[in-house]
Amino acid sequence: MSRFFAGGSDSDSDSSSDDGQIPIAKAPQPVQQPIVYSDDEDVKRVVRSAKEKRFEELSNIIKNIRNYKKIKDIGSILTSFEELTRAYSKAQPIILKEENGVIPKFVIRSLAELETFINQTWDDKDGRKNMSKNNGKSLGTLRQKFRKYVKDFEADIKKFRENPDIEGDEDEAEEKQVDEDSSDDDDESDQQTATAATFKKEPEKITKPKPAPKDDDESDDSMDWGSSDDESSSSSDMDDAADMRLRFMKKVDDKGADKDEKPREKKPKAVRPKKEKIEEEPEDNEGWETVPKHGTSEKPKMFAKDAEIDVHVVLSKLNEVMAARGKKKTDRKLQIEFLQELKSISEQHNLGPAILAKIRFNIVSAIFDYNLKISEPMKLEYWSKLLEVMNELLKLLLANVNDIVLSEAVTEETEEFETKPYRLRGCVLTAVERLDDEFIKLLKECDPHSNEYVERLKDEVTVTKLIEQVLKYVEVQGSPIEICRIYLRKIDHLYYKFDPNVLKKKKGLHDSKTSVDEMEKLCFYIYSNDNTDRLRTRAILSHIFHHALHDNWFQARDLVLMSHLQETIQHSDPSTQILYNRMMANLGLCAFRQGNIKDAHQCLIELMMTTKPKELLAQGLIPQRQHERSLEQEKVEKQRQMPFHMHINLELLECVYLVSAMLLEIPYMAAHEFDARRRMISKTFYQQLRSSERQSLVGPPESMREHVVAASKAMRHGDWKACSEFIVNKKMNTKVWDLFYEADRVRDMLVKFIKEESLRTYLFTYSNVYGSISVPYLSEMFDLPKMKVHSIISKMIINEELMASLDDPSETVVMHRSEPSRLQALSMQLADKITNLVDANERIFEAKQPNFFQRGQYNRNQGNQQGGGYNRQQNQQNWNANKRQGQRNRKNVTFQHQQQQQQQSEEKLE
Amino acid sequence: MAKFDLTTRNLQFLDRHLTFPLLEFLLSKDIYDKNVLLNFILETVNKTNMIDYTTDIRQRLNLPEKMPEELQLKRQTVLAKLKELQLEVEPLMKCMEEIKTRDTMKDSKTLISVLQTEYNIKIDIIQSVYKLAKYLYECGNYTETTSYLYICLMIMQPHDKNYLNVLWGKLASEILTLNWQTALEDLNRLREFIDNSNFTNIQVLQQRTWLIHWSVLVFFNHPKGRDLIIEMFLYKPLYLNAIQTMCPHILRYLSVAVIINRGRRNALKDLIKVIQQESYTYKDPITEFLEHLYVNFDFEGARMKLHECQTVILNDFFIIGCLDEFVENARLMIFETFCRIHQCITSQLLADKLNMEPEEAECWIVNLIRNARLDAKIDSKLGYVVMGGQPLSPYQQFVEKIDSLSVRSEALTELVERKNRVKNQEGESNWKYYTN
Repeated sequence: MSRFFAGGSDSDSDSSSDDGQIPIAKAPQPVQQPIVYSDDEDVKRVVRSAKEKRFEELSNIIKNIRNYKKIKDIGSILTSFEELTRAYSKAQPIILKEENGVIPKFVIRSLAELETFINQTWDDKDGRKNMSKNNGKSLGTLRQKFRKYVKDFEADIKKFRENPDIEGDEDEAEEKQVDEDSSDDDDESDQQTATAATFKKEPEKITKPKPAPKDDDESDDSMDWGSSDDESSSSSDMDDAADMRLRFMKKVDDKGADKDEKPREKKPKAVRPKKEKIEEEPEDNEGWETVPKHGTSEKPKMFAKDAEIDVHVVLSKLNEVMAARGKKKTDRKLQIEFLQELKSISEQHNLGPAILAKIRFNIVSAIFDYNLKISEPMKLEYWSKLLEVMNELLKLLLANVNDIVLSEAVTEETEEFETKPYRLRGCVLTAVERLDDEFIKLLKECDPHSNEYVERLKDEVTVTKLIEQVLKYVEVQGSPIEICRIYLRKIDHLYYKFDPNVLKKKKGLHDSKTSVDEMEKLCFYIYSNDNTDRLRTRAILSHIFHHALHDNWFQARDLVLMSHLQETIQHSDPSTQILYNRMMANLGLCAFRQGNIKDAHQCLIELMMTTKPKELLAQGLIPQRQHERSLEQEKVEKQRQMPFHMHINLELLECVYLVSAMLLEIPYMAAHEFDARRRMISKTFYQQLRSSERQSLVGPPESMREHVVAASKAMRHGDWKACSEFIVNKKMNTKVWDLFYEADRVRDMLVKFIKEESLRTYLFTYSNVYGSISVPYLSEMFDLPKMKVHSIISKMIINEELMASLDDPSETVVMHRSEPSRLQALSMQLADKITNLVDANERIFEAKQPNFFQRGQYNRNQGNQQGGGYNRQQNQQNWNANKRQGQRNRKNVTFQHQQQQQQQSEEKLE
Repeated sequence: MAKFDLTTRNLQFLDRHLTFPLLEFLLSKDIYDKNVLLNFILETVNKTNMIDYTTDIRQRLNLPEKMPEELQLKRQTVLAKLKELQLEVEPLMKCMEEIKTRDTMKDSKTLISVLQTEYNIKIDIIQSVYKLAKYLYECGNYTETTSYLYICLMIMQPHDKNYLNVLWGKLASEILTLNWQTALEDLNRLREFIDNSNFTNIQVLQQRTWLIHWSVLVFFNHPKGRDLIIEMFLYKPLYLNAIQTMCPHILRYLSVAVIINRGRRNALKDLIKVIQQESYTYKDPITEFLEHLYVNFDFEGARMKLHECQTVILNDFFIIGCLDEFVENARLMIFETFCRIHQCITSQLLADKLNMEPEEAECWIVNLIRNARLDAKIDSKLGYVVMGGQPLSPYQQFVEKIDSLSVRSEALTELVERKNRVKNQEGESNWKYYTN
């Protein structure tokens, strides 16, 4: 039953098979006869006699009445009945003249039915009570009027009731007549109602090959003319079926019809299918034979058997089908199937590649249309079908690449299907882009840790191939803009993939083309041919990402610096910003692998400062606190998420960040132990340190963070061995380091850095206890070559970090005791502050220059603040703009803090 | 040695005529095969109208003495064409001759108006002058070219399509006539023109790259060039960018300029930053020398590189003149750094590091001490050089820090007061700043 409700509104696959009876909805338009039905009758026009005209009128009204009966719209029945009487009186002369006064059977039958209906309704007291006021009133009037009217026909009705089956041939003939008429009508209304008509005929056609449940419609179809009209055609089953139906109808219809009147026309359509499904079983029980199916062999009849199938016919058919596209009532599933049928027909008839391409193209768009909600992925069956059709389409296009012009610029009117060069309207590029998006959606829907995800991911190859094919096609046919677009698609599938051949090539082990070369080619094309900034930005970002992935640190860095993206990225769309963040993260990792610790830190600080890198990289939503975002927002953000296989390992990222922070921060801390102006290099790192200090008992490290903290503590004492053991051990290897491609190299490099930085820390921390230290001793202690120790110490001396000098003959470092006493240190600080004050004064004075001067000054200051390189990234992500505010506040706080300190020290001095 | 030869790279950015001195220079070094070089020169020369030079090269190549027919023919056509052009510009030249003495020559506007009103000369004639100058240049007659181009510059409007060409031509011919002072002026004029006109990004980059290469010629020959080259290459971000993107090899000349320029030691830091940044695209002994010395403090490496540097400089047309200076200054740099780090060095080690004999090194140090550029003593018994100068005590540091403060504050108050006074005097008129 759940299916019931779910399926109903969607005109789901099963329910759609019942749509043959929709006439109810469409009642006012007698367009039951599908236009596709290109029977002979349809083709030749009959000059209609007066009789036909009248009869048609009558039958229309009767049809209406029947429909209204079904939905129990008694008000309308009443009006229709009045119409019927009027029409009948009009038709009477003709009946008298041509039929010898015999009242047509179908009129009689309808009257009989109506009578039954009225009596039934009238007797159903409960039902009457529940009726709306309007309906109840109408019922009364109808009953009275009917009684009065029916008197004239009583004899006929009686006769009819006695043997309703007699009518057989006669009736059929008449019906045929009616159908003919109505089909004529169709022709006229063809143009206007094409959509409706096309829609209606499909269901009926396609039900047959379907193993879907059969209902009374099937029995209809089993009759020769296979028309889906309405029950008027299936007179025989009417009595039982109608009763049956009525019983079921009540349940739903009463509600639907009574509630309000307007949607009545539509509702039944939605509701009916459900009913009929219930009907199925009782009917089967009652011995309604199912019509044997011929499987798929019995395809819907698109064209008459002997109809000549040529391009025009197919084309007009196609247009009919496609005209229904996007309509609310259109059954999208059937549309797809219908198109597929059309495709096979045209394949059989060899109508040329153009028409095939056109049909395939339409199938693709029909499949895209299938899903109503953009945010939801398409069904798997359609996905595979889509891949298949797309593949066929592209094969076809590529085979005829010079003959078929497929472009958005071709208008419907100028399409050319028969002679070369073919011209088609459409855009494969858009189609493949859409397909790609769908693929990402599908991936996002899967649980990334399941097999399902892996299964889906296998399609990546197909998608890439498709893109490749489109690329080939577009390269021949497309404009530079289109080429840019498809290139970018390809880049999207390329940039995050690691190609080990690149590193091999660097070592000279490999010499064919690598993905980096490919990337270069694609990106350069976009750089020079793109005129929308977005594509270029994305291309650059992907390019940098790719370089960074393959350890091309310098190229990646230069691209970052040259593009000046840091300044403008906050104005771009979120998905580009995400790409930027991903690129930065990867650049940081690359810098780390290449041993540029400082750069690595600078790349990553922006991401890690926020404590929500996960969100910034679009690798998952952070559980929200107190409804920070609305459902809408969440939905949008969900759409932006990266599929799992493109994720950057967050633990690795954090570890790399913390380790580089450690390597920078620990020596710095040691060097500026007494410096009041000491600034934190990395806040996040400090937080980790502090949180571990707060613990009353520190156990052996478990998590990655604990390892780094423990290592930092060891480094503070210059204990490089302990430090490197904390950083590089089995646990950390499996957790983090093994994720790098050349893990061993990275580990070696790390240990080397740890040694060096430990040495520096050691010298900073303990230089005041030494008069002199021997260089060989240091080199032994830190397991570094003497040259390296020498060079490190030299650097420290030159940079005035270490008050010492080397004594060459004895190979020692001689310390100059210049550590200031506490008082001296404080007075030094004071002096510094006063210097700042004087500087500030001077600046203020400069700023107070006349107006015209001021502006330039201001700008210059700003320029200075911005400074070079990576620093510009500060405050970039405008999706956490509040962060900026926070920083500013903090600055103010520290400033105040400093001022207080200053005052204190001044007091002390006095 | 060919590894570090930049001639091929430089030639791409130089004018055909400017390449001849470079190629001739290469002929004198034994880096490349002489015949190949000569053939190359001949090929280049053939594209110009320098018939005499062509014959000269042919001689050197031991080609048949007799001039080929086409050369003869060419000479005749060239001469005829020259005559024709000279005839065209004759009226203008006559006028110029006449007004030469007047001061109208100083201002281009008045000059044009005088020419138009008094002598009734059409300004379009200047295009012929330009053509003639170009032709003369092609023939290698640079001196005359400069004078014609001078007239062109006086009369032509900056928006003329040939104006840029005239500027380039002027610079080239000044360089070729070794007229460094005017060359420098032209260089500046050209630079301004390039910076101010609106080329596309690519064009401007190209123009700058050319200018950078041409200017190297000027800068290493002009007495003031060594400051200017640093100023232009290192501190003009546009040109630094051009160097980094188009021609990182220029860093060699920049490094040499910085090293030999003792007065600008602070430029060294910026230079090293650039060198490090570009180290993956360009590297040669000179930049590596700096890297070893100031980044890695690897004196041994620096010493080796210094040795290589000498050969490189010897083979480089642009900087061969600075060889001695370079070596001297490089040594000094090593020594300075050394002294800052060490307090005691054996003179043997020092001599090693400086690429000198111990005696020579000692002599050199003595000279330095005598010139009071080094606070050190030599302990000749042990063969040590002991550095003097203890680091500042915290007290001294403190004094130093606050030393200037009072002076600066006083100066500031002075300024404020003076301003105040001015303001008071001006009175009301000052309000306009606030009403705006």
